[in-house]
Amino acid sequence: MSKVSNSFVPKHTVIEELNPMTKILAVFSLGLGTLIFPNSWLGLFVIVGLFGAAAAAKLFKEFVKIMFGFGIPITVMLIFIQGCYSPKNVTFIADLGFARLGLEGILYALKIISTLLVFLGTFYIMNKTTYTGKLVAALTNSGLPPKAGYLVLASLNVVPQMQRRMSIIQEAQSARGVETAGGMLARIKAYIPLLGPVVMSSLTDAQERGMTLETRGFGITGVKQTTYVEVKKSGLDKVLNILLILFFVVVLLITVLMKMNIL
Amino acid sequence: MGNIVLEVKDFSFKYRQTKRKALKNVSFQVEEGSFLCVIGANGSGKSTLCNALVGLIPHYFVGKMSGEIKVNGINVAESTIANLSSEIGLVFQNPFNQLSYTAGTVAEELAYGLGNRGVPREEMVEKVKYVAELMRIDHIIHKNPLELSGGQVQRVAFGSTFIMEPKILVLDECTTQLDPLGSEEIFDIVKKLNSKGITVIMVDHEMERVARCADQIMVLDAGEIIAIDEPKKIFGNPEIVKHHIGVPDYVKITQALREKGYTDCDIEVTEEPTIELVKEALGS
Repeated sequence: MSKVSNSFVPKHTVIEELNPMTKILAVFSLGLGTLIFPNSWLGLFVIVGLFGAAAAAKLFKEFVKIMFGFGIPITVMLIFIQGCYSPKNVTFIADLGFARLGLEGILYALKIISTLLVFLGTFYIMNKTTYTGKLVAALTNSGLPPKAGYLVLASLNVVPQMQRRMSIIQEAQSARGVETAGGMLARIKAYIPLLGPVVMSSLTDAQERGMTLETRGFGITGVKQTTYVEVKKSGLDKVLNILLILFFVVVLLITVLMKMNIL
Repeated sequence: MGNIVLEVKDFSFKYRQTKRKALKNVSFQVEEGSFLCVIGANGSGKSTLCNALVGLIPHYFVGKMSGEIKVNGINVAESTIANLSSEIGLVFQNPFNQLSYTAGTVAEELAYGLGNRGVPREEMVEKVKYVAELMRIDHIIHKNPLELSGGQVQRVAFGSTFIMEPKILVLDECTTQLDPLGSEEIFDIVKKLNSKGITVIMVDHEMERVARCADQIMVLDAGEIIAIDEPKKIFGNPEIVKHHIGVPDYVKITQALREKGYTDCDIEVTEEPTIELVKEALGS
């Protein structure tokens, strides 16, 4: 049977134990800080730091794969496009024959790449080290409406449920002699007739689930919802929150000063 | 006579997409702490009645409705399903549709309704532990509900309704996924809850069990109440089979003993008295 589409696997690391709100703050503070900073140096430092964080979260191998898997093709593509064709190009560092490689374009491409990688890296670590239930509980505790919290969790869980439904219908069809195995074409042919029943039964399920939720008190007015999942805010969370906010404020200040040519 | 916790007055309902009424002028009352079993053939209106009792009709199912249902004095049509959930709880036929699909573990699934009510976490943990032990699912409490077997999900579904401590428990064929032993375990729990004062309304096709558990039996046929009475009177009525209702084997045994002149006692509907009757008959 399918599992919930939550990519979280408990590894009991310090990063995993952090409050999900701290991780969300890290995604935005580091990501936005890199985005507003005038050059790519800050982003490159943050990326190096993220490799350290991934190692601490026992995710180093997967993290390297995702960062290089995304980073190398996007770097080549953006450096080529921005380096050769950016209107900002004034200083040319190489002549490729069909186009000249501009320094300003390359630096701009590096800025975009570093920002993208910081967002990707922080989000990846957050996603891999945070149990979805805990994330939603933390968001709800922070004021997210319970209905929005439900939407997040139910959206994640509806995929495995549809997969399960699909395999049941597939089994039923193959029991009646419909060919569901074989080559790619045979599989595509087999899957098309499954779509109708899967979608229709999912809609029926959604209606029944709506009934279930209401009979279990979903939508009771005048009550602040509570959760079984425990969300703690440790001393480390508090320190990290301060540091992350401080990081963003300092980056903002430096950026403003640099723009005003004071730094 | 005890307190009336459920009152259905002249209630009729027709689904929008059907031509005939699913329930026709249904009227009955249920006393606090009683055990009412609803029996009838497929399509007789049993599930519609369950849906109406918990407020899914008229709040969820669209159709033409008349009459009134009151749960502990609250008019179902004027309340919300969510607010009614502290008074009356329903365990559905299909346990997979009873899951919230928001929980990563059985414990979270059980606690979902309590969370909606704002129950503090400490209290929630205690109740989850108690219900998990009661439903014999404490060994799978950290498993994902989507990875469980049908029978296990049915136990989780039952537990997640029961944990909300409704004063009235409505069970709509809630053991269809369980093996005979598992079903009996659940009914033992239901009987235990009933003995503690929880009112139970149960739809079931297993007549031996119905006869054993029920204080009163309601027979539905084509949306109408044919009879509502004690098990002995319902199963002792020879007309009952005309409504596609089977009778417990014990009834057949006592009827056969009477016909052959071995006894002139009333019919028996449960195991122990039937054994006594057979012993007496054999002795004579």
